[in-house]
Amino acid sequence: MEEAFALAEAEAKLRTALQESTTRFETAQLPNKLNEDWRYGSPNKFATALADVLQSSDCSQGRATVTHDNGAAVAVSKDDEDLLQTEMLMPSIGSDALLGMHLARFGEGYVLYIEESTKEPICLHYEAEGVYTPSTFIMVAPGVKAHVIEHHEGHGENATLFVTRNIQVAEGAELHVELRSSGAARYMCITNIQNMGGKVNHFTGHAAHQWGREETVAEIYSSAEGTSVELYSANKLSGNSVLDQHTKQIHHVGGAYSNLLYKNVVDDHATAIFAGNIRVEEGAHQTDAYQANRNLLLSEKAGVHSLPGLEILADRVRCSHGSASSPVDEETLFYLCSRGIPRNEAYEQISSGFLNDAYQRFARGTEGESSVE
Amino acid sequence: MDESPFQIDTRGEFSFPENHRFDAGYGLTEETIDYICDAKGEPDWLREFRKDALRKFNEMPMPTHWAPEGINDLDFDKIRYYLAHGTAPYKDWDEVPDDVKRTFERLGVPEQERAFLAGVDAQYDSETAYNNMREELSKKGVIFVNSTEGLKEYEHIFRPWFGKVIPVTDNKFSALNHAAFSGGSFIYVPKGVKLEQPLQAYFRINSESMGQFERTLIIADEGAELMYMEGCTAPKYDSATLHSGVVELVALKGAKIQYVTVQNWATNVYNLVIQRGLAMEDAEIRWIDCNIGSGLTMKYPAVVLKGRRARGEVVSISLAHDGQLQDTGARMIHAAPETTSNIVAKSISIGRGRASYRGEVNVLKGMKGCRNSTECDALLINPASRTDTYPAISVHGNASAVQHEASVSQVDEEMLFYLQQRGLTRAQSMSLAVNGFINDLVKEFPMEYSVELRRLIDLEMEDSVG
Repeated sequence: MEEAFALAEAEAKLRTALQESTTRFETAQLPNKLNEDWRYGSPNKFATALADVLQSSDCSQGRATVTHDNGAAVAVSKDDEDLLQTEMLMPSIGSDALLGMHLARFGEGYVLYIEESTKEPICLHYEAEGVYTPSTFIMVAPGVKAHVIEHHEGHGENATLFVTRNIQVAEGAELHVELRSSGAARYMCITNIQNMGGKVNHFTGHAAHQWGREETVAEIYSSAEGTSVELYSANKLSGNSVLDQHTKQIHHVGGAYSNLLYKNVVDDHATAIFAGNIRVEEGAHQTDAYQANRNLLLSEKAGVHSLPGLEILADRVRCSHGSASSPVDEETLFYLCSRGIPRNEAYEQISSGFLNDAYQRFARGTEGESSVE
Repeated sequence: MDESPFQIDTRGEFSFPENHRFDAGYGLTEETIDYICDAKGEPDWLREFRKDALRKFNEMPMPTHWAPEGINDLDFDKIRYYLAHGTAPYKDWDEVPDDVKRTFERLGVPEQERAFLAGVDAQYDSETAYNNMREELSKKGVIFVNSTEGLKEYEHIFRPWFGKVIPVTDNKFSALNHAAFSGGSFIYVPKGVKLEQPLQAYFRINSESMGQFERTLIIADEGAELMYMEGCTAPKYDSATLHSGVVELVALKGAKIQYVTVQNWATNVYNLVIQRGLAMEDAEIRWIDCNIGSGLTMKYPAVVLKGRRARGEVVSISLAHDGQLQDTGARMIHAAPETTSNIVAKSISIGRGRASYRGEVNVLKGMKGCRNSTECDALLINPASRTDTYPAISVHGNASAVQHEASVSQVDEEMLFYLQQRGLTRAQSMSLAVNGFINDLVKEFPMEYSVELRRLIDLEMEDSVG
């Protein structure tokens, strides 16, 4: 009886949420310069261009492949209402209008229902020649350990790749996701991680997009022991490229752990933007949440905008954030040069070591767990 | 609890009946501006300037896309823009009208002046009631008058810098201040003159629904040094009171300015102040800022580092109690090479209070050898307390280093237990812990202020931890 009541209540909540989300997309405006979530992100230039492309081309110009899935992968169908609903309820960080456009093109990509632990990583590959807007859904069953590698690749001047990703991790589950993206003229990736009591270890590496925007929202709904989210990113930017990364770590309940480390090496005329936020909701006591953004500037024309943020509404929490941007340390450079390494190569080594640190931390989490097996 | 050495009423929760010769009524229109200009006998250019600023104020949007929501409740038509006893300040304490004199005596102004100040400017509602400076300083060429007198008597120094550091169109509240300003100080310290004792301004709002729009301009000529302190209090009324000052500092080559604020407005006061300094070559500007009172404070002292090797610093303490939002922070604009800046901000949230740090550090294109270090720490006292941190850091080029760190913590239960075991009450233990948290910053304040500050914090803690 009680169960039936709870179910009815949950359904009612879902209906309200869906109604709200409909109005949300109907009333959403394209990002403009007064939108704080697009501060420094030149919305009038990039978001408008993306919207134009999304509207002008309705056919799909990309393909998706999946390997080593062990039967876990199912292609996303246009008519799958559950998935459509999940996407409708996705949070965005100032990009509701763009998310709405993605919704209108719904029906591509893959769902991974991971019900058994995997030895080999499941590999998901999206390639875009023109406009391509797939969706990824990853659902990890209780107690299951999974490893997923995603590649998002753009080819050529017209490649516009806009991916939404929904990740749900059940209690006691463990997920390691590595996302590598490259080569698009316009790249956008909106990710929502819902952690119901498991471990999530998430890495992104973006390279050689003319413009890239990442929005990653990680929500923690469980205070089960060992609940954690770790977010890492390592990016090398050069040429005129712009990378605009936005993250949110939302602790709905207390007792969990989240950590973020985003690193960028910025060269030539490139610009890196990082805007992160840790939100500890009212009553989410005993939360541990950390956030760090580190940038290495290699050229005179390179630029970095860093906006780390904290919103703490609970008590007995341990939270901190840090941001540092600096050039390559002259002493380190001198040391390498004095060992006979040419200056250019020394730069290369220092910056790859700098970025590798973030990847290693991610990988340690991944390997550490598998060696226990 | 120790008594203050000056027996000062730091809370200022008292008021006297209104007794104003000038009252411009509610709302701000061109007529209000005419009234203010007529009352003050201002020249035509200023009248036009004010009216132009009013037009800009009306056109400009509220900063709702980033500002805290509380700002939307502010109703500009329910504010009185000019209330004054008279337009010229008294130079002799005995001449000051009785109610005003009693107010400042209760707040400890004359004792402080005798004890350790080089000069005092006491503003009561819209105008300066009392202004005095030690004679030897005026012989050295130091100017310390209110803004009205500054514009009248020293137009050649005042006007070239007026609205140059904070332009009319900087934001809506800057335009508002340019349209309605009255009171505030004008200070000029000539080349090489170093003031050993601080100058002080005291801002007092006595009347209900009052809007105080003081305008302060401080110019330290080459190699000059000064410290300026301001204190603010107001009685608590049911209606909103607005304090929207503009403070401009100009530190010319090699000059040093320290600006100390201890703000303890009542909780019905909107405290929306724009403070910005311009530091030329080798100059140094320090903002030392303490926000304890007001319902909503939005205040981000800024330094524009305009000359090579200029240095900027902001030291900020804020304390947010029930119903208070302290949205404070700092801005550092590195507009010249080899400039350095430092920000240290500590906040304490009590009960349902909310303290936010909002800051900007910007190393502009082409600047080399710039450094900034920012540190924000927040202390949460109760489960419902809230704290936020919203920094924005921009760095251009590969020859500058910027770092920012923020942390949030609580008072350690074990520490409290230890202190209570030694015989202190919980409130005393908490107060000791909080004082410890801000101890290194309190040291930056002049001695007399740091004593007061500790006392204020003790008082706040007494109420909140029972």
